[in-house]
Amino acid sequence: MRFAITMLCFIGIASVIGTILKQNELYENYIIKFGQFWFEFFEVMGLYNVYQAFWFLVILIFLIISTSFCVSRNSPKILKEYKKFQLNAREKSLSSFKHSYEFPVKKFDFVKLEKLLLDNKFRLKRQIKKDGSLILSAKKGDFQKLGYIFTHLAIIIISIGGLMDGNLVLKMQELTGTKQIIYEDLALNDIPETGKLKTSNFSYRAQMLLREGEKQSVAVLKVKEGYLIQDLPFSVGLSDFRIKHYSTGQPKSFESDLIVEDKASGQLVKKTINVNNPLTFNGITIYQSSFEDGGSELALDIWNLHSPEKASKMESVIFKKNELVFNEKKYFFEFNDFRKFNILDIESGNKKTPTNVGPSFIYKVRNESGQAHEYQTYQFPMRIDKSLYFVSGMRKTPQEEYQYLKLPADANGEIEGFMIFRTLLHSPQTLNDAIEKVVAQSFPEGGEKSQIYFEGVKRVMSEFVHGGYSQIASSIDPSISLEDQKRIANSYIKIIFLVGQELIDIYQSNNAEIDNFLFESNYKFVQEALTGFNDSFFYGLPIFLELKEYVHIQSSGLQLTKSPGQFWVYLGCILLVLGIFCMIYIQEVRLWVLKKKDKKNVLVALTTNRHRYEFDQFAVRISQQIRKILN
Amino acid sequence: MVFKQLFNYLFIFLMLMLPTVSLFKFHQYMDIYEMFILIGTGITFIVIGKNWQNFRYLVLIVLILSFFSIFLYEGNLFSGEKQFVLKYFLSSQSAIMWMCSLYPLSLLIYWLYLFKRHSFFGNFASQLTWIATAMGFIGLLVRWFESYLISIDVGHIPISNLYEVFVLFCLVTALLHLYYEEKMNRKELGAFVLIVISVAVGFILWYTFSKGADAIQPLVPALQSYWMKIHVPANFVGYGAFAIAAMISVAYLLVNKGILKSRLPSLIILDDLTYKAIAIGFIFFTIATILGAVWAAEAWGGYWSWDPKETWALIVWLNYAGWLHLRLVKGLRGPMLAWWSVTGLLITTFAFLGVNLFLSGLHSYGEL
Ligand code: HEM
Repeated sequence: MRFAITMLCFIGIASVIGTILKQNELYENYIIKFGQFWFEFFEVMGLYNVYQAFWFLVILIFLIISTSFCVSRNSPKILKEYKKFQLNAREKSLSSFKHSYEFPVKKFDFVKLEKLLLDNKFRLKRQIKKDGSLILSAKKGDFQKLGYIFTHLAIIIISIGGLMDGNLVLKMQELTGTKQIIYEDLALNDIPETGKLKTSNFSYRAQMLLREGEKQSVAVLKVKEGYLIQDLPFSVGLSDFRIKHYSTGQPKSFESDLIVEDKASGQLVKKTINVNNPLTFNGITIYQSSFEDGGSELALDIWNLHSPEKASKMESVIFKKNELVFNEKKYFFEFNDFRKFNILDIESGNKKTPTNVGPSFIYKVRNESGQAHEYQTYQFPMRIDKSLYFVSGMRKTPQEEYQYLKLPADANGEIEGFMIFRTLLHSPQTLNDAIEKVVAQSFPEGGEKSQIYFEGVKRVMSEFVHGGYSQIASSIDPSISLEDQKRIANSYIKIIFLVGQELIDIYQSNNAEIDNFLFESNYKFVQEALTGFNDSFFYGLPIFLELKEYVHIQSSGLQLTKSPGQFWVYLGCILLVLGIFCMIYIQEVRLWVLKKKDKKNVLVALTTNRHRYEFDQFAVRISQQIRKILN
Repeated sequence: MVFKQLFNYLFIFLMLMLPTVSLFKFHQYMDIYEMFILIGTGITFIVIGKNWQNFRYLVLIVLILSFFSIFLYEGNLFSGEKQFVLKYFLSSQSAIMWMCSLYPLSLLIYWLYLFKRHSFFGNFASQLTWIATAMGFIGLLVRWFESYLISIDVGHIPISNLYEVFVLFCLVTALLHLYYEEKMNRKELGAFVLIVISVAVGFILWYTFSKGADAIQPLVPALQSYWMKIHVPANFVGYGAFAIAAMISVAYLLVNKGILKSRLPSLIILDDLTYKAIAIGFIFFTIATILGAVWAAEAWGGYWSWDPKETWALIVWLNYAGWLHLRLVKGLRGPMLAWWSVTGLLITTFAFLGVNLFLSGLHSYGEL
């Protein structure tokens, strides 16, 4: 008993470790967290995968053995007890019980007495002894003891079922070298026999990632940092994967249309599976477990943020790389994900509600020196603070939050307006015209002062166009007082804003047919565009990618489980519940009625193996009833 | 007497009728398991009601008021903010707020009773607890209805996130307490049990006002299963019973030290009650964990994945199995077991709440 409890405590502690230390993470993450020394120590202890660790399995096996011993030792006793009625109880011992009552008897009405006891669910036996005395032995609640067998048998059965579904066999094969975990990315044909598991493999939980339209007949078994290939007795084809959404945009269901074909018999099964609704075929259950992009195709417009060209085109595929030469620099694009739906908390009224803002794509851009930034760019403009923006997030490491570049949408809800504005900033002629108009407002009569003012504004604009506000700030004389610096900066900002407004006015009056700027007032747009333009200097990339079109292709992540232990685990569970019920809610009671031949008295005695609060009341009540019958 | 008899027949009739009518009316929205659960619920209520008259009244009042509330909504979610009765009493949010204010109030009065020993206070505290419980159940039922008003596909039973299950926890714990209180005919223990409930209420309030957790969210795919309807309530009977056991153990420890000895039930009674609560809790918790495993096998592809929630359920289970072993096998009684059961509540709380707060896993509903 003590041993079993120690084992149980170990399991408890191991379980706690397993929940506190995140299991099955990438080993790099552990190294970062613990340092090399402790990383290796923990690794040897198997703490990254506690529940598959060797020592954990050993404990489980010990638990099974010790509980088995316990059951096999106690069960025969209990079964024997069930039959035994202890008719040889002596008067002396009976009268020493806590609940023993003696009273005179008038008429010994056996029929009535036995009926009373039977009504109270007792089983009885009686005996007339050699000395003429009569003993009636009754008992009930034997199932309480059976409950002991049930629960402990259940523990054994459940543990065995669990072991059957565990990876003990695989561990053995790994130890003996018949199977070797593969750590590098290999094509299926290059995988050695030692890396493959046959269809006859007893139990497994393997993964399969299927592209829409693809068919596979092997799955991948992840082991530690590597994997093994599990051969299947059938092929699985994916004809379609869908994500259904609630009206609010959150995902409602993930569904895969599967076609499963048995290799041996050619039997074909078509079924749509979803998260709570797997498919069982030939003893293997196929679950919807995840999904990812299957190589969506994107058509992109490339906008140069810092020079006035028109957009050029780029085609890309998720999980592929593109290379681009831009302003004589090389950029390497890695497209990592496409998300058709993005649920963000968007302000509406004065509440934030989850809203679907449409597709986005995620990519990494590496420059020639290998430095990489990660981007997430949304296709459609989204409403933030009552304005529509095209939004793109940038971050340097995955641990960081995204920082967002927000470019205002034009009157048509497109990005073109901003790009025209950017072109205007870069075109010297229009810029000059705009500056002149601004200068003319301050100096309507012209003159030398206006000329100086003009040159000043021109310089400010040129600095802004080439480096944003920060460039201007660095040009302000640092020796003057902070207050003056601020005042000057503010006046610059105001001027830039006025020039911006004029730029658009001029453009609009020259291009009456263009409707990108048909605002009631361009005030807001110019402000937002200037902010966006300024922020683009911190975007880490002189390019804005606009998603024009896409073909969405998905992969469905399936899990294939062969779990022969499941039946036993469930059986054990039923037994467990039954057993606990018996142990807790059945009270074992023994009762004797002893009548000595020579005496007119009768002795009633009761005992129970587990004293309970109600037992006292029961004992008093039943003894009184007996007394009534016999009196 | 005749009235009561009549009422009881009416109750049984209703418990059979309502599910049947719903079956006919809404069968296209249910799968076969949900139909069984529906009928089973009616029958369960009949069985509980057979042993517990007040439960019947509770069920009936909750049903009547919930239907009244639904009637007042007139199929429009915004009625909840406009219609007077809804806005202040019967919309799910205000009903739950009533629950949240009445439980702490009844805690106060239970303590008054403990010190003043005037039966008025005892009865009053009890009645407040009943009313709070009724309001809580009305809140949940109406919330269930409201979720369908948001959209027919969003509609779901309100036991799917941390906010909702905390309300459920309060209700189940209160009900179990009321049951024991009535069977024992002693009201002092409310002063202890209502502490746990009030703490839970505090959490609900914080969670509502600082996190806006009361918003109804649609179900994530993994939770869309009839299993939720049995797994979660079974679990919460377990949690509620363990909570009660722990609070009675606190009373036990006090009495054992001679504190409030003359005002609380005897050690034997307290010990017995603790045992009963843990026994009930253990059965339900076992069943709930097993059902969870069966559900996991269906949703995640394995009946046991050593997910933190599962693992902590196992730890809780082992903890109380240990308690029961000591008591049943070794026949141990006394303060040691009482301390154990108090500690048990801490472990249970971690399994219930801490796992969601601190550990991530497959059970990723209801993060803070
Ligand atoms: C599920 C609830 C459980 C209950 C109610 C329970 C109850 C009992 C009882 C009543 C006994 C004493 C039997 C007797 O002496 O007549 C016992 C003994 C024992 N139990 Fe449990 N048990 C449970 C679970 C477990 C578990 C999970 C384990 C460990 C895996 C376990 C291991 C043992 C061992 C090793 C003994 C001692 C056997 C011996 O040496 O005689 N039990 N249990």
